[in-house]
Parts: sequence; structure tokens; C-alpha cells
Amino acid sequence: MATALAALLAHPAIWRGNDVAPEPSALPSGFAGLDAVLPGHGWPQAALTELLVEREGIGEIRLTLPALARVMAARRDVVWIAPPHQPYAPALAAAGLDLARLYVVTCKTPQEALWAFEQALRAPECGAAFAWLATHDERVLRRLQVAARDGRTWGALWRRPGQRGSATTAPLRLALARQDGRLAVRVLKRRGVDLPQPVLLALEADMPSLPVVGREAAASARPPRIARS
Amino acid sequence: MALWACLLFPSLPLDVFARGQNASEAARPFVVGSGGHYPRIVAANAAAQAAGIRHGQLVSGALALAPELALRDRDEAAEARALAQIATWALTFTPMACLAPPDAMVADVGSSLRLFGGLPRLVARLTAGALDLGYASRLGIAPTPEAALLLARAAQPSPVRESARLPQVLAPLPLTLVDLPDATRTTLREAGVVTFGQADALPRDGAARRFGADLVRRLDHALGRVPDPRAAFVPPPRFTGRLELPAPVHDVEALAFGVQRLVRDLADWLLARGLGAVRLTLTLAHERYLRARGMPPTVVPFALGAPARTPAHLLGVLRERLARVTLAAPVEAIVLDSEETAPLAGRNLGLLPGDDADQVEVPLVDRLRARLGEDAIYRLAPHAEHRPELATRAAPLRVPLPPHTAPLPDAPRPLWLLTEPQPLRELFAHKPWIIRDGPERIESGWWDGGDLRRDYFVADTPDGAATAWIYRDHRHGVDDGEWFLHGIFA
Repeated sequence: MATALAALLAHPAIWRGNDVAPEPSALPSGFAGLDAVLPGHGWPQAALTELLVEREGIGEIRLTLPALARVMAARRDVVWIAPPHQPYAPALAAAGLDLARLYVVTCKTPQEALWAFEQALRAPECGAAFAWLATHDERVLRRLQVAARDGRTWGALWRRPGQRGSATTAPLRLALARQDGRLAVRVLKRRGVDLPQPVLLALEADMPSLPVVGREAAASARPPRIARS
Repeated sequence: MALWACLLFPSLPLDVFARGQNASEAARPFVVGSGGHYPRIVAANAAAQAAGIRHGQLVSGALALAPELALRDRDEAAEARALAQIATWALTFTPMACLAPPDAMVADVGSSLRLFGGLPRLVARLTAGALDLGYASRLGIAPTPEAALLLARAAQPSPVRESARLPQVLAPLPLTLVDLPDATRTTLREAGVVTFGQADALPRDGAARRFGADLVRRLDHALGRVPDPRAAFVPPPRFTGRLELPAPVHDVEALAFGVQRLVRDLADWLLARGLGAVRLTLTLAHERYLRARGMPPTVVPFALGAPARTPAHLLGVLRERLARVTLAAPVEAIVLDSEETAPLAGRNLGLLPGDDADQVEVPLVDRLRARLGEDAIYRLAPHAEHRPELATRAAPLRVPLPPHTAPLPDAPRPLWLLTEPQPLRELFAHKPWIIRDGPERIESGWWDGGDLRRDYFVADTPDGAATAWIYRDHRHGVDDGEWFLHGIFA
């Protein structure tokens, strides 16, 4: 009996209130802790994700790099629209991204950026599109969501610090902050039950955490590594 | 066996203008005049003929019949260009196509019959294709080019495949169809020789003496008794398509139809030469009186992300690009130039129908570039350089990006680099930042004026909430420089 019920409940069309919605195509994020709380165990491959960043420099982009590398490995392009700063090629290459598949788009007006974002989301060759936009227009967001679904593209909408906005049509909404030296991901919205507790992720495995030193001690902290030519 | 198809364009003077019109505009009466002081009608479209306008009539008379008549002067240079363009297109059917000015071309289709599924199908494709290009045509098919031309002029579309039947088919044709000097024609008429058969029945040496060697040679060429070598048409090394519009066009939308024609011509040329377009220029020439006053044409350059040849692709890009153009004045002619091309191999068709469906879609990169501008989209490439601001570069889109060979630094690098290092001054004076890694001394560039000497640190902000890449500037001395923020570990 119990097995029959379990088989029935495993049907993809059925999901229960205390669970997350099944997501047929998800892009593994590369972080087991995050995958565990995302519907389908990964970034939604054909939908919009809204990312609210408390402030820059907490590892918000590094959070997405494993997934982007996966998109590129699947021979699809990644498009970054109107990033807030110059993306730094050596660091991106060192992180394992295929730079031949990463396109950066600069836009003169927010309208141009919106148009470019929609085009990228619709394009079959584009697997992931990130945009740094300030729009809160519900109709615009719904349009982007439809474009992402049609183009089967992971669309990430980055909110600058303080641009929290109100309700959104994006099916996934995450708030990123730093907590105890780690990246805390709080799921504000997902298809499924609420998750009040943030997920703490350690991104910094490659970066040693040194003891706290003042600025005067900086010079003597370690013998300098020298790049001189 | 050689089998020649002749495509004759009886309304070429009209079609070179009219092909820029869409269907609704074509319903207006339109004529081509001879120019000069007493211009006469050279060609009239269906609407003009319905109004009673006839070939050879004075233009003033025609205007009395149809006051709303659109008139352009005959442009023989445009007709020659059109013929070359048609020959380029014909090279998709056969490697051997020749011009037969002023209004025809001949092509040897004998070796292509099998590929195109037999003569009837090939004929259908030829006439439909010419009509698709915007030219009404008449077809003649015969074993020799001269005979094919005569059959086309005589409006005898039924193909003649055997040389043996040629004398019988050509015999009743009037001699006026043969290209002969006027004097010869008059002499022949006065001698009572009016058909091809009569001329061929004349004693050869006598005919050559009396009517000129030209006559005998033409008859021999037509009947295949003497070889008729013709210069094969070679498409020009550079494409320039020019389209004169029958009436000035005021808005960009109405240009689309003409542009589409030119893009198809371009695609044929690219296919004939095995090339793909990389950079193109569309020039919109304004009305004549404005040109005379020194008004420059509107030039619309555009580029493609990769060599392209499909009309749908080229048109998609061009449409986006044209949407950004505002016309300063009405446009009278459109010119499409190929500025830069690159070899493009033929593409295999998909195994299943629909396999190559997404190939026709205009690549995202091209669409973005056409709308946002050439420099709006770029890729990144690391560069072998110690100075951080020079270690990242924008890579051109057209060339495939080589796998980067620049050695990557073994020290941590931020994902965001600030375009201008930001002085930290007060921010730094009171609260300590938390040094996580460093220092890393970077000292380089004394040879090119970009001299720098810096100690870089990975540091957390005083509240520990974010990680940044900061440096102390030692350019002016040691250990007393200012602190700057240069990157963000995003």
C-alpha cells in the first residue's frame, strides 16, 4: 500500500504543499547546499531568477560560476548585459569559464538593456543571460519571464543594493548577503513552501582567511610576492 | 550534349525600376521614357497600357492620357547591371552563362538537367526564379546559343533538343530577329529574302559576297555548323547592387521591399563566388535635385558577427539596422556594396527536414550589434601583462577567439575591475580593513609611460561584509603611498 502511494506521489504532475514544485529542467548550481533548497535541485533553466545583493563583493558572481561553466560546456553562450563594472578576464578564465562563449553587452539606456535582455533570453544559442537592471515594471518582468521560458534560457536579474522592489513574477527570488564570513543565500520566493532559514555557503575554499590585521601591519604581514618586469 | 537556354527580358527597361516596388505601388501607371527633348515612351507597365499608353508615343501625349503617371528616363547602365546580376544568379544552375546584350542571357543547361530533375523542371525554375528577381522573361531552348536566342525573340517557348530539327524550326522565323546591320537587312528585304529559311537556301559564297560575311556566320552559328565560342560570364570580384526606385520613397518602411531585392542579389553573388558577407554598406541616394545641391547620401554601414550568406539572416540584420535610420530626405535609389567578404564553404543540408531550421535565425550577436551599435557587444580575452588594467581586453567578435595562451596569475584576482582605481583616503584612515592576502608587488611599464609600482592586497571591508582588491601606490616613493580600491571579489 505504502509503495503504491509513494509511486503515485512520485508522479511529476503531483506535488504536495510541504514540498517544492518539481522543476523539469534545472541547472545544478555546483553548491550542494544551495541545490538542496532549489526546486529541481538547481537554477531554473527556463525561467527568470531575481538576485538581490546586499552589497557588492560578497561572492555573488562566484556563486553562479559553476553553473555558467556548465552552460558553456553544453555549447551555449552566456550574455552579460550592462554589468556594473568591467568583468576581469584573467579571473574569469582562472575560474574555468570559456571566454569565447561569454559576451558582454554595454547599453546606453535602460530601454536598450531591456531589449537586449529579452533578445538574449529568446535566443536559442544563449543558455544564460544576466542583466543588471533597475526595472520593477510588472509587465516588463512578465515579458522577460515568457522570453526566458520560450528560449529555455536561465535569466538572472541582478538587483543593486537597496533595489529590493516589491512583488515579482520571477519564480525564484534570492537575497544574498554575507554572514559569518560566508555567503548567506536566503530564498525569498520559490515554487513551494517558504524557507525561513538562509543557506550558508563557503565560496572561499581557494582563499585563505588570515588573522585580522590593521593597516599598519599590512606591509609586514607576509613577504611580498613580486611581479616585476 | 550542349543545350542552351536563353532568357530574354522584353520589359527590362521597365523592370529595372519596377522591381523596387511592392504590389500596391505596382498598380500605379508607370512608364520609362527615352529622355531628350521629345521623349518617347520606351516601356509602359500594365496600368499605363490599360490607360491607353503605347510604346513609341510622346511622353506629353501619355501624360495627357494619365496625369498621375510616374516617369523615369531609360537607364541603360542599370539594364547592363541587371543583366550581369541575372547571369550571376544563373550560375546557381550552370557553370556556363553568357551575356547577350542588350536584353538577354544564354546559359548552357545541358549538363545540369539531371541535377535539377529534367528539362521541364529546370525551365520552370528558371522562369519562376527570374520573376522572383523581379524580371519578366521569355525562354528559348535550343542546341546552340544563337538558335536559343532566336526562339526566345520569336516567342517560341517549346524546347528544341535535337540539332537535326533546327533547320526546320528556324526556317519560318523572320530575318528581322537576327542581329544584322541595317544595310544588310534592307538589301535582303529588297531581294525578297524575309525568312531564315530563305536566307539559308541562298548559295553560300554568293550570299557572303552580296550580303556580307556576317549573315552567313550568323546562320552557321544558329544551325550549329560552325562552333560559336562565347565568353563565360564571371561574377565581379566585388558586389555593387543598385536599385533605382520608380518614385521617391519617404519612409524607411517602404524601402524594405527594395532592400530585400538587393539582398537576394547579394546572396546569389555570394553563392556564385563561394563567399560570405562580413561588412556591407547600404547607401540611400536622395532625390536628384537635392544631390545637385550637394546633399550627401545617407550611408548605413553594417557588419556581421560571422560571414553570412542566407538572405533571411542578412535581411534580419539589415532590418534592425534600418530601424535606427532616419531619412533626411526622400530616397530615389538604393545601393548595396560588399565592403568585406570571407570565404564561406557550402553548408550541408540537414539530414531531416527542419534540422537546419534554427540556422536561418539571425544570430543573437548580429541582432544586438545591428541595434545597439558595433562596439556595444564584445568578448573578453586575457592578455599577458602584469598591469591589471591591461590584462583584460575586448576581443573582436568576428574572428574565432583562440584559446588564450596568456599565463594566468597565481595570485587571487577579482571578477570586477574598477575602470578607475578609487582613492580610499578617509575610508581607510580610521577603520582598519582586514587583510586576507598579500602583498603582491606589481611593478611594470617603465618603458611605455604607464609606469606603476603597487602592492596589492585582498582585503575585507572594515565591517567584514565584502571583499575587495586594494593597493598601495608606491610610484612616488616607498611605503608612504596612497591606498586605492581597484577590484571587487564579486
